[in-house]
Amino acid sequence: MDEASSQNQLGGSANPAGVANRQNLEEPSQRIQYSIPGILHFIQHEWARFEMERSQWELERAELQAKIAFLNGERKGQENLKNDLVRRIKMLEYALKQERAKYHKLKYGTDLVQGDMNPPVEEGGEEVRVDPDAILSTNTNVSWKQSRHLLRQYLQEIGYTDTIIDLRSNRVRSLLGIDGGGNEENHNSTPAMNGSDTTKRMPDANRWNVTKKTPSCLEAQIQDAERAVIDNFEFLRSEGEDAEGMEMDDDDEDDEPEEEDDVHRLKSPKVPKVALDVDDVDGESVDLDPDFRFLPDVEDSSPGVLGFGPGSRRVYGPGGEEDALEGLGELAQLTVTNEADATYDQISSTKENFRKTWTAKYTLRSHFDGVRALCFHPQEPTLITASEDATLKLWNLQKTVPAKKSASLDVEPVYTFRGHLGPVLCLAMSGDGDKCYSGGIDGTIRIWNIPSSNIDPYDSYDPCVVGGSLPGHTDAVWGLTYHGQRQHLLSCAADSTVRLWSTDARSPLLYTYAVEKDGIPTSVDFVYESSNQFVCSFNTANCVIFDLETGKPVTRLDTETEQGSSSISRQINRVVSHPTLPLTITGHEDRHIRFWDNNSGRLVQSMVAHLDSVTSLAVDPNGLYLLSGSHDCSIRLWQLDSKQCVQEITAHRKKFDESIFDVAFHPSKPFIASAGADALAKVFV
Amino acid sequence: MADQNVVLRRNRPGTKAENFYRWCDEAYEEMDSTLVVQQYIQQTIRLDHNNIDTILNAPETQDEGVWKYEHLRQFCMELNGLAVRLQGECQPSTCTQMTATEQWIFLCAAHKTPKECPAIDYTRHTLDGAACLLNSNKYFPSRVSIKESSVAKLGSVCRRVYRIFSHAYFHHRQIFDEFESETTLCRRFTVFVTKYNLMSRDNLIVPILEDESAGQGESEA
Repeated sequence: MDEASSQNQLGGSANPAGVANRQNLEEPSQRIQYSIPGILHFIQHEWARFEMERSQWELERAELQAKIAFLNGERKGQENLKNDLVRRIKMLEYALKQERAKYHKLKYGTDLVQGDMNPPVEEGGEEVRVDPDAILSTNTNVSWKQSRHLLRQYLQEIGYTDTIIDLRSNRVRSLLGIDGGGNEENHNSTPAMNGSDTTKRMPDANRWNVTKKTPSCLEAQIQDAERAVIDNFEFLRSEGEDAEGMEMDDDDEDDEPEEEDDVHRLKSPKVPKVALDVDDVDGESVDLDPDFRFLPDVEDSSPGVLGFGPGSRRVYGPGGEEDALEGLGELAQLTVTNEADATYDQISSTKENFRKTWTAKYTLRSHFDGVRALCFHPQEPTLITASEDATLKLWNLQKTVPAKKSASLDVEPVYTFRGHLGPVLCLAMSGDGDKCYSGGIDGTIRIWNIPSSNIDPYDSYDPCVVGGSLPGHTDAVWGLTYHGQRQHLLSCAADSTVRLWSTDARSPLLYTYAVEKDGIPTSVDFVYESSNQFVCSFNTANCVIFDLETGKPVTRLDTETEQGSSSISRQINRVVSHPTLPLTITGHEDRHIRFWDNNSGRLVQSMVAHLDSVTSLAVDPNGLYLLSGSHDCSIRLWQLDSKQCVQEITAHRKKFDESIFDVAFHPSKPFIASAGADALAKVFV
Repeated sequence: MADQNVVLRRNRPGTKAENFYRWCDEAYEEMDSTLVVQQYIQQTIRLDHNNIDTILNAPETQDEGVWKYEHLRQFCMELNGLAVRLQGECQPSTCTQMTATEQWIFLCAAHKTPKECPAIDYTRHTLDGAACLLNSNKYFPSRVSIKESSVAKLGSVCRRVYRIFSHAYFHHRQIFDEFESETTLCRRFTVFVTKYNLMSRDNLIVPILEDESAGQGESEA
């Protein structure tokens, strides 16, 4: 109603000439309430309303436009960032390639055949410019993958040195010294990159007024990136030089899992702990485990990068960047943790130096008097000790008693062998670990059938364990050694004879070697490098290699030329033969360990090895390390190629002037053990 | 290299059985190792195993707990010789229970619930158990000082170990006599537990103290 009338009025106002009269006529009768001023007022009012609405809309439009502008700006900022990152990736990649080529050339003298070696900067930039949104994602994915792959390869190569520690630990020690420097450098450069790139630039991009980003700002960014790349480049260069310093063998695939583990080990602060905890499992599997954990980690992170759409603002930049740094950053981070943690410092530093630091884990207490000898089972984590208390005890390292101090575990023996009527002096175990032979001061060699290591120590007596004896010697038996392949046993005694026994024949004694003209034998060992020889040391400091068949001396080790003290103080307490090399090692009363060439009989090296007489020697199954025990209460681990002491452990206390009687390596597991005059045996892992 | 005047008490490899531990004695005061007491006891035993009074006579400054402990270790160690001899003769079929006189059957305490082990098993288990207890890091973490509560444990070890003597005496007399003549161990043990009041006299059923007093009378006369 109202509207219709207003239209009429409007129409009226539009044609005032024609209609006005009629209006005027009708007005008094029908529409008295409308007056001209009223209508005008109404029209004015309406107009003002429309005007206001229009201005509101315009305001809204302006706001939206502003928003569009802002979003546009933001997008531009993101694009800039992307371009920059791509550029950096390309530069890194290029630098890596160059480094690799250089290194390859230096090492092999030939050019490394690689894909495109062109500086990628322009090309990368163009690509991005052509179609930033479409290409960027794939492009970065590829380059990420590539650079990641390269990075991993580098880490592997660095890690490789770690395996070489096993073989060449001397070189490795110096190497790791440099490596540490590399880490340091890396550690320094990483924060720089973080500082210039992520922390500074990212907030830039996140600010509202990105639209205003100027060319100069862009330039600064590029410079930043370049600086970062150069930083990185320096780091890589130093790593590359490290790699040059070591011998690498890229072909050796078998070793790779272990290497990577080593990389991980260097980097991860928790690994030393892991290594300690799981060492009673087989060494190899322990090594592999962390490695597999490491690899999936890397793989996990890369899909994260691949999955980013070009538009996902926050994740793309920093996420990728962090990822890129992860591999490197972790290294640096971990160095820091190691430095910070004082208790770890010791462990990690020794770890870096020697790869493995032995720590006392099991204390074997149950003997009443000095433990004269010990020997490990060939496969199982068990060992047998022989003591002056006339007993032998079988120990299962998996059956431990919780000890007061968590550091070391007490083990109780699972079986006590009774048979000797006086101190037991020496011990040998058969190759299959079924039998054990012990020589006593009573001149007997006893054979024992080793019971199961899971036997109840308080089970009833089984006479089968006592497997008889090997009669022959007439005085204290001081040395026993078993040859696994030949299944022969060699013994030496204070009656100045060395005897060869067959362990399965009815008449066990195969040969008696009368050696009295050289003195009283103190220790014997088979010469493993030559099939039918044995070496015998004497209390006169003589040491002779004999032929097993004829009993004739083959080589007389040139002990006479050694100047100095009387022969009694130079007495050889222990002789061991290297498992693979024609090398004989003797431990002397005069504190020396001497190395001899089996063929010439010449002294290879002589060194003062302990503060007191050297009583026992053991070579690890691979022939890389030598373990020595001494009456100075310590055992020492030596590197055989460099003859350097890599670890010393004070292990036992003195009784009278004696301290350590025997040391041993487990033939197949990472255990070493020492036997002491203090009635204890200790096992180290 | 080594000072020639310094005696190094060592059984070097190659030492003949007769020379084993044969070195000039060291005065108790000069021993400086942590195993002084064991060294001293073994030295006096080697000197003359029949001279029980000297063997059991503690040096003045010696802590009595440690002295008793080290002696008991030595007893258990030497008892191994008796166990080895019994191993050959004392069969589970003949000595089905650990008995001495008809009065008691001894139950083996090495098991969760004490049980009637054959005599040879009782012997082995008791010695093994004693070895574990006396070497226990919990009760005897140190051989230099021993807690009172741990010293109290020595009595029960003595009581159980003594049954090996009594079984041998009543059932394997020949072995016992041979062993005793070589070591005088039972007599020394009897004097030891009496002197330090580790066992009641009623339990000392091997009639050796009469011998002992008679022997003493003879030597003094």
